[in-house]
Amino acid sequence: MAAAATPVPPRNSLFGARLREAGWGYAFVAVPMAVFGLFFIYPFGYALYISFFHWGILGKQPGTGSIGFHNYHQVINDHVFRTAIKNTLEYTAGVLPLEMAMGLLMALVVNQSIRGQKFWRAAFYFPSLASSVAITTIALYLAASDGLINRVFGTTTPWFTTASTATWAIVVLNAWTTSGTVMLFYLAALQSIPTDVYEAASVDNTSTWRTFWRITFPLLRPAHFFVLVVFGIGALKVFDQQYLASGGTGGPNYSTYTAVLYIYREAFQAFDFGMAAAAGTVIFIGIFVLTVVQRLTVGRGEAA
Amino acid sequence: MRRVAAILVVAALALVAVIVATAQAGTKTTTVTLAGWSAGADEDQLLQSIVNTFEKTHPGIKVDYSVINGDYTTAMTARFAAHNPPDVFYVDSSLASTWASQGVLQPLNSYIKSSKFDTSKFYPSLLGAFTVGKSIYGFPKDWSPLAMEINKGMLGAAHATVPKNWAQLRAAAQKIQAAGVLPSGAKPICLSADWARMLPFVFQNGGSLANITSPAAVAAVNFYVGLIKSGLANTPDKLGSGWCGEALGKQKAAIIFEGNWLLPFMASTYPGIQYGVFPMVSQKTGGNLAFTVSYSLAKDSKNKQAAWTLLSWLTGQKGQTLWMSKGLALPSRTDVKAIGGRKNFLIAAKYAHGWGFPHFATAYTIMNNDLSAVITGGKTVQQMLSDAAAAMKG
Amino acid sequence: MATAAASSQPYIPGRARSELIRKGIAYGALVVIAAIFFVPFLWSIITSFKTLPDSVNVTLIPHPWTTAAWREVWSQYHFGTYIKNSLFLAVVVTSCNMFLAGLGGYAFARLRFPGRELLFLLVLGTLMVPDQLRLIPVFVMLTNWHLIASFKGYILINLVTATNLFFMRQYFLTIPKDFEEAAKLDGAGYFKTFWRVMLPLALPAIAALTILQFQGTWNDFFWPLILFGQGSPHLYTIQLGLAEFTITYQTSWPDLMAGSVIAILPILAIFVAFQRYFIAGQVSAGVKG
Repeated sequence: MAAAATPVPPRNSLFGARLREAGWGYAFVAVPMAVFGLFFIYPFGYALYISFFHWGILGKQPGTGSIGFHNYHQVINDHVFRTAIKNTLEYTAGVLPLEMAMGLLMALVVNQSIRGQKFWRAAFYFPSLASSVAITTIALYLAASDGLINRVFGTTTPWFTTASTATWAIVVLNAWTTSGTVMLFYLAALQSIPTDVYEAASVDNTSTWRTFWRITFPLLRPAHFFVLVVFGIGALKVFDQQYLASGGTGGPNYSTYTAVLYIYREAFQAFDFGMAAAAGTVIFIGIFVLTVVQRLTVGRGEAA
Repeated sequence: MRRVAAILVVAALALVAVIVATAQAGTKTTTVTLAGWSAGADEDQLLQSIVNTFEKTHPGIKVDYSVINGDYTTAMTARFAAHNPPDVFYVDSSLASTWASQGVLQPLNSYIKSSKFDTSKFYPSLLGAFTVGKSIYGFPKDWSPLAMEINKGMLGAAHATVPKNWAQLRAAAQKIQAAGVLPSGAKPICLSADWARMLPFVFQNGGSLANITSPAAVAAVNFYVGLIKSGLANTPDKLGSGWCGEALGKQKAAIIFEGNWLLPFMASTYPGIQYGVFPMVSQKTGGNLAFTVSYSLAKDSKNKQAAWTLLSWLTGQKGQTLWMSKGLALPSRTDVKAIGGRKNFLIAAKYAHGWGFPHFATAYTIMNNDLSAVITGGKTVQQMLSDAAAAMKG
Repeated sequence: MATAAASSQPYIPGRARSELIRKGIAYGALVVIAAIFFVPFLWSIITSFKTLPDSVNVTLIPHPWTTAAWREVWSQYHFGTYIKNSLFLAVVVTSCNMFLAGLGGYAFARLRFPGRELLFLLVLGTLMVPDQLRLIPVFVMLTNWHLIASFKGYILINLVTATNLFFMRQYFLTIPKDFEEAAKLDGAGYFKTFWRVMLPLALPAIAALTILQFQGTWNDFFWPLILFGQGSPHLYTIQLGLAEFTITYQTSWPDLMAGSVIAILPILAIFVAFQRYFIAGQVSAGVKG
């Protein structure tokens, strides 16, 4: 880009420049917002609408009109729903810190120029590669009452099908498979930290721990916010593993019943789409509130 | 002269073209879509070959058979909602009344009348599973009840006899346990924490779903759960298995209660195990469940007449005979023979109740979760049964 | 373990040996961890060479050893076609995503337009809608537009995801404004700035998202099943193909394992290929130069 012989003349007015910037801004986000609008926001609006009706597979049940908040009452007073929410929150509280800590740790480790760096990266990321169905099937096999894990520890508990251990087994499983993905995000984020920062720290003879805690960790704030929100929401929406481990029942004794399993069952087993939509809306509101809280705490002060 | 000849030739050609066109219009082929889940490559191929036979004998109809290799119910629900379902498809008996009430299944009564189809050949309990009031929503394509399968080696080594009732069942289990023929971690009996396996015992004691809190039902559940609590039985997951069939294969159980689907599984995965198929035990009376699937017609089908032709042929005497040739299931018609070795399944027909009940999905989830709680001691039998009664009422 | 610091440390007696012990323990732990992470994969490979009755035994050596599963998977189950389909979808969806997420992420991070924060909240909101809840409306829509039973509908709904856009935004936020100002002084317009300056700077982020999106599309089972996985075996992806082996009461383990190994190799290759873009110092080099 050759410099002009004379400086570029200033724009006509600040307003014109702002208008141009806004125009380009809208242009850039147009296609993404269209996709999100059509395939996420509209369906959610649709769900919101049908939550006020008795809604079957083919639509409104003939001869009925709006039933107000009836579905919502049913959902909130359903002890199964309450158990599902409790299980989901417990699961999230367990898996999220674990994933983040493991992911960050692994990212820091493989970010160093250690021998076989590329190999370690692949090794840590490996469990994340397989599809969730494949990995869960393997995990169920390994954790069977006479499986490898029990043989190593001399126990006989079927970890995924015992009420008291099922949630924690899934926490461990998902932390194991998802930490690789978290690692990838942190690894990318670490690349944007200029190396002179580290050079300055080493000139001052700052310890590794101090360097990390006082410099690296705060600089990763946009990544922290991202990981918290995306993986937090992901944890709150967990479904596959509980579905596979319990054969779709959410058992034993409701221990693997999650929020999304409730929606799934209402929609695709009981075919009561009004109820499913009400449950979905309640869950959405819950996740939304939690995310706003995260935005106000961790995500503060990062807007350009 | 030549000009006249040319005109005549053109006219003749035109006439021929018109004749050919109308002839083709008369033999236009209809395409009927057929969908189901997969129960193994063998089954899929068998059905495809049966469909090919149908096409040969029905030149105006082409059949597009596809397998849904995943969540069948979810995929079908989406298709129903979009008013774009397959014309003919499988319906499990537990779902039949729900889908009928949702309005996605075509009642077959008018077609039965107009083609004079003889429905009396179907076992009444099986056809009844797909009948709501007077409307028939599908024909059963096959079925299987539960039977008792026992590891012959372990039974013989323990000098135990094949049990016929509950007391004998307990005695046989005790003998097997005392004889020390079980590997470590194994139990004499494998019992699933599943109403689809426990319900027959309720029927055997004279209980019923309509009156599920009766003393007969309580006693039956107590017997079932009692076997586990007394150490004579265990659930499959405690035996390192996903289901009792696997437990039998891994020799973690000597006695199990499973249906006809066990046989292909054992033959392909655990061919070395010597086991026998015996009739289900009985108590006050015989009691069993009929697991059955129908071919049904979609309400939104665009080719109902052709679809009906396919459906009635598949569940007719000819079609079903072809289907039975590999022994993957039992015939739902009295005029079709099963392949050999299925006697002890077939004699259960008299006492088999169709599997399914009102508000199936919601109730089944509650009933099974409660049963697992009863087994581990978190709930009482009475609590579970009253929960079940409430759930089935809706 | 910072390499830059090593040369400037003063010599302290005994440090070398304790350093060695620390490194030894660290490597030992890494090996154990890697072993744990790899064991299931090894078991899969071993099982793929067994016969079905033998596959249920917990043995390390197949007995008898057979390649029947591999041959079956390739010829009888058309895995070649499935790989082709999965590859096509993964490449198309990933490329679209990288471009659109980059564009949108840059706009949300650096361009000012009214309603930006609200729109971004909507973007985050899409993350909160479970697939199960939006399945029916989306499916009905696509059916009415005749985008079912082909790849079109699937590609359309996956053109860009909130996760990708969100991450690009976060990444762009960490890049110093000097670059854009320099570009502006050079007279570059908004798109040129994005395409020539910002996107190259975001290479580590693009690399991470490429790996993840490719893998996500590759491993996707639910939407392909619903949108084109019925009645169109020529359109099957690898995951739909694998589902042919997992049937209740009849799982065919050796075939499943052979298929799973085939399924995992391409995404492992993508990971290895793209991870070299995780290079620190891109940004600082740019500032200095």
